[in-house]
Amino acid sequence: MRPLNWLETRSEEVFAYILLAPAFLLLAVVAFFPLIRTFQFSLLSDQTATRNPFGGFVGLDNYAALLTGEALLPQQFLDPAFETPLLQQALFVTLAFAILSVLFETLIGFGQALVIDQDFYGRRWVRVAIIIPYAIPIVIQSMIFYLMFNPTVGFAADFMQWLGVFGQNPLADSSDSFVIVLVADIWKTSAFMALLILAGLQSVDRGLYDVARVSGASKWQQFKYITLPLVAPALLVAMLFRTMDAMRIYGLIDATAGCQTVPSMSCLVITALQETRRWATASSVAFLTAIVIGVMVVFYLVGLRDTEADVA
Amino acid sequence: MSNEKRSDVAAEQASEPDLDRGVVEAWVAEAISNPDRAYKAAFYTATFFFLLTTLFPFYWLFMVALTPRDGLRDVGVLTPGGLNPGAFIDIFTQIPFHRYIFNSFLIATVATVIVLFVASLAGYVFGRLRFRGRNVLLLAVLVTSFFPPAAFFVPLNRLFNANVEVLRPLIEAGSLYNTPYAIFIPLSALYLPLSIFILTTFYSQIPDGLEDAARVEGTTRLGALFRVIVPLSAPGVATAGVLTFITVYNEYFFSSLMTDGRPENWAPMLEGILRFQGEFEVLFNLMAAASIVAVLPVAILVIVAQEKIVSGLTAGGLKE
Repeated sequence: MRPLNWLETRSEEVFAYILLAPAFLLLAVVAFFPLIRTFQFSLLSDQTATRNPFGGFVGLDNYAALLTGEALLPQQFLDPAFETPLLQQALFVTLAFAILSVLFETLIGFGQALVIDQDFYGRRWVRVAIIIPYAIPIVIQSMIFYLMFNPTVGFAADFMQWLGVFGQNPLADSSDSFVIVLVADIWKTSAFMALLILAGLQSVDRGLYDVARVSGASKWQQFKYITLPLVAPALLVAMLFRTMDAMRIYGLIDATAGCQTVPSMSCLVITALQETRRWATASSVAFLTAIVIGVMVVFYLVGLRDTEADVA
Repeated sequence: MSNEKRSDVAAEQASEPDLDRGVVEAWVAEAISNPDRAYKAAFYTATFFFLLTTLFPFYWLFMVALTPRDGLRDVGVLTPGGLNPGAFIDIFTQIPFHRYIFNSFLIATVATVIVLFVASLAGYVFGRLRFRGRNVLLLAVLVTSFFPPAAFFVPLNRLFNANVEVLRPLIEAGSLYNTPYAIFIPLSALYLPLSIFILTTFYSQIPDGLEDAARVEGTTRLGALFRVIVPLSAPGVATAGVLTFITVYNEYFFSSLMTDGRPENWAPMLEGILRFQGEFEVLFNLMAAASIVAVLPVAILVIVAQEKIVSGLTAGGLKE
């Protein structure tokens, strides 16, 4: 019997499972299996000298060591005693980066979305110009900002020193580099926010604005009472995606200031892996990162449910 | 509307006394009596500001690319430190940069095709069929996107470095490290969830009647999917495809870790750009020129597809 005919005679439920098989096969190999393995690795001890990087079972000791600041890493995940400067602790860097970048990207992205939502001559090209940073490969985005703040080539380092904000070599200083990474990220990903918010804006019924105008609402009132509440769910979804992405930041840091200068959580995984050969610790950092992201997601989902309840 | 305008004009004339005002004051007074003007001005200012901030970095990168090697100290804010358009040729002669671009292009294309096909099947199932375990499976797809790429890296790295005898006839070394598979397999899986969500919403919006009609005509269920539902959801499929292509082409984490950086070993474009960091001297002008060349494919894609992406995201019911 031909395979298509065979497929055709299955019940709907079996048919569904068969069609889902490729997706779940791919996810199983690349996502589920590695996650389980990573979790298992994180419960073992580090073996830095032998060929096999994993030692015996130690339970949650790696997690405990990370959270008490006792883990042997070039940077701390979290140092409750605050002996390490804040900007060299991965958890702090990641959270600060995620909150600040998402905040600025939302504000700027909203502004950009409002601009490209208007009808005006040449809108197509303005739209392209505003969206295009989103399509820039991370390595190129990093290059641009690396060069701008490079003391010999760029002008931005001199300018910031003249303002008295940055030190001699901003790309080697933790707090200066943090700002550079933040600006670079805002430049690129505001465009992504703008795109998602624009999608939300376009699904707002234009008739509502006519009604508002007739009843004498000002532009600001139209924005406050029509645009904002109707866009809020799309805005929250966009912020959720962005926060998840911002918490995984790695490439931008690696290609500009380097993971030693601005240690994010993803950075810490790679330094633990490549520089200190602590595979088990690296695995537990990776899992802690996922847990922190999971907690953030729960906050958003609660917020999202509340706004939906408000709208309904 | 016109009535309102007229009353505005009247108010303006009435409130415009014969006081001697400066230009700014006069403009402000006018803006207060006629707020539309102020909004217009704010709109043009904002547009100008956004265009300047998004486009300036590209302009400046172009200036760096035009600067000859020994003029890099003289790059200004708006001017290059000399003129050397030859950099755009040097990047192809000093290293095979076209090969890097080709590698990236191939990896992104293959990943996009895989994602679109697999996500179409999954999106059809989640969007149109009723079966037990639907929500649990959908949640399993969502959960994978919580994890940072780093969480998958250690086991995948071991997996792709492992020597598998079965692969020997296909790949000389017997392991997937240094092959395009090591990049597009993880990336297709990790960017699959987004496409599944986009396509699920699109496919669920196609009226049942159209699918039934196709079935009555004698197509199979799969035939109805690919001949009726997918073509009718073209904007959604295009959006998912463009977003996947852009993200894979731009990806950094796996792209930088899954090959040794040699073009013949399928190293992607980012390794090519980083190759100009020589041992003794970093050729910033060539890095800049290479970056501009590498941006072109995605830039063209955005120019061509931006209308589709916006409408695709809108109709995809992101608001839900």
